Amino acid sequence: MISRKKKELLRMGLQSLLGYPMRTVLTMLGVVFGVGSVIAMLALGAGAEKELLQEIGRLGIQNIIINSVEPDQPENNSSSGSSSRRGWINYYGLKFKDHRQIVETIPGIERVLPVHLSKKKAWNGSRWVESTLFAVEPDYFEVFGLEIASGRALSPQDEEDLARVCVVRSGLLQELGIYEDPIGYVLTIEDQKFTIVGVLSEDRFQGYAQKALVADARSSEIYIPYQTVLKRQGTRSFSGSAGSWEATDVELNQIVVEVENLDQVILTSRTIENLLSRNHPEKDYEMIVPLEVLAQRRKTQQVFNIALVAIASISLLVGGIGIANIMLATVTERTREIGVRRALGAQKRHIIAQFLTETTTISILGGVLGIFLGFGLVQILVIFTGWTAVITPISIMVALTISVAVGITSGIYPARRAAALDPISALRHQ
Amino acid sequence: MPQPIISLEGIHKYYGEVEPRLHVLKGIHLDVTQGEFVSIMGTSGSGKSTLLNLLGCLDVPTEGSYLLGGKDVSQQSDDELSRIRNEDIGFIFQSFQLIPQLTVLENVQVPLLYGESSIREKEEHCRSILDSVGLSHRLSHRPSQLSGGECQRVAIARSLVNDPLILLADEPTGNLDSKTGQEVLELMDSLHGDGRTIIMITHDQEVALRAQRQVRIHDGLVIEEAS
Repeated sequence: MISRKKKELLRMGLQSLLGYPMRTVLTMLGVVFGVGSVIAMLALGAGAEKELLQEIGRLGIQNIIINSVEPDQPENNSSSGSSSRRGWINYYGLKFKDHRQIVETIPGIERVLPVHLSKKKAWNGSRWVESTLFAVEPDYFEVFGLEIASGRALSPQDEEDLARVCVVRSGLLQELGIYEDPIGYVLTIEDQKFTIVGVLSEDRFQGYAQKALVADARSSEIYIPYQTVLKRQGTRSFSGSAGSWEATDVELNQIVVEVENLDQVILTSRTIENLLSRNHPEKDYEMIVPLEVLAQRRKTQQVFNIALVAIASISLLVGGIGIANIMLATVTERTREIGVRRALGAQKRHIIAQFLTETTTISILGGVLGIFLGFGLVQILVIFTGWTAVITPISIMVALTISVAVGITSGIYPARRAAALDPISALRHQ
Repeated sequence: MPQPIISLEGIHKYYGEVEPRLHVLKGIHLDVTQGEFVSIMGTSGSGKSTLLNLLGCLDVPTEGSYLLGGKDVSQQSDDELSRIRNEDIGFIFQSFQLIPQLTVLENVQVPLLYGESSIREKEEHCRSILDSVGLSHRLSHRPSQLSGGECQRVAIARSLVNDPLILLADEPTGNLDSKTGQEVLELMDSLHGDGRTIIMITHDQEVALRAQRQVRIHDGLVIEEAS
């Protein structure tokens, strides 16, 4: 019974809006654009966060990545320099000892993967590609989610056999002009022959993840069993041109530590940092803790998101002021109507309800249209900028809640003004 | 002697908070019995509009008591006065006071919106009232599409919707030409004939004479009664 009464009051409220369609639509526009931009901004924020998660999440949030870094050294000042420069050979970076100590002394670790990198030319007949050789243990593929498109990954057996096998990316095959089935194909790397056993999908590491893993920007990584590289080639590499040559000896370019428990990651990284800083006073390494990076980036992103939404909310605020303004004008314009309704028995709360119905309807309708507009804006932005954008159900809820709130707050003052009118003078109002 | 439906006792009305306050009604005594058709006449400034506002529960007297249907309504809350206006009083205004964006039928339904009964239940009732004032062919027209006489008939229909104790008409023919004015007055006569209690405020002697009893107000006092 009561609900039917409310329905009737609601219907009567809506009739006033329908009585002035143009004004209703124009009043609504402010909310439409406001909600539209809030939706778009939230979507861009969520998109950026998703991208961040994908990018850094690929590194594995339970992992700690330690990379060797060549320390800054004055070029022509080798005599006063450090002990790491012996003759022409440039020693720096992570050592086997570091790997061993981490394995032996750090608790709560699932696995520790050593990685050695070298730049080598890979040949197919007379065609060659400057490629990066990744000497990795078989677990490397699993830890970083590298997907095998065809063939197989490297296996423990390959390690044992010091097998001359490799896993490549399909991009490399194209550059080398290998178009038939690559599995079983033999590449020449330097002077050794390697049989291709697997091809990775072209799903690349991007942005930060690519940098953190020292991955190649192109597709020329070649993955080779760790032991094969170590035992057959050693860790020393030479580069030279036009009569001068230089040798570097980096035992390990990368150590990847997978921590057992997520909540131990930060603590473990501190312990490893302590260990390494004792071994490496020159700090010729860097530690990357994806979990930490993610948290920092997220924090920055969230501040950014809040700023975006705050800016978008200004237009929503302006929309709300627009509603309040029109409703105040309406109260004056409809003073007589208010007087009549009061004379016919409307209580103050009925008048308030009527005006709030009108403003809330305007703002909810505006909110719904704004959501559609937001979807459109996001589509356009995605098409023209290539950004990632995600419209989450939460952002829709937020937008609708905000528009209801805008409707009520912008309606409350005009509604109270209307209800406070003296019925006698309202009836006489011209 | 039947119990009066309206009983005003020593009604005073002052306006303003600070002295000298404006003393508009200076001790009105008036009884109206069930089924009477009373006209209240007076020049402008005589206090007749103030009296109408009090009778219509749009305002409360400063002093004195007002019994409507045996109930003291002189010191009620705003919400209670709204309820009384809704249930017990039917207003007919000089300028019709219809709501422009609503149709004829919707205008008649407005009082139902603020009462107990629902519009749907009373839909037939509204239609039959509109039929009785001769507007059944105008249900979905808007006031702007109607003539003055038709507007006033809609207003009369609206005043009847909640079956009130009294009808209060404020210069009901004031905005009408004499012919349509006559039609409206005939309609009021027939309502009186149906047993309605009508109080009509006017400054027009001729219109006032249509009523069964004439009350003249001067300077805030009832000075003459005739019937």
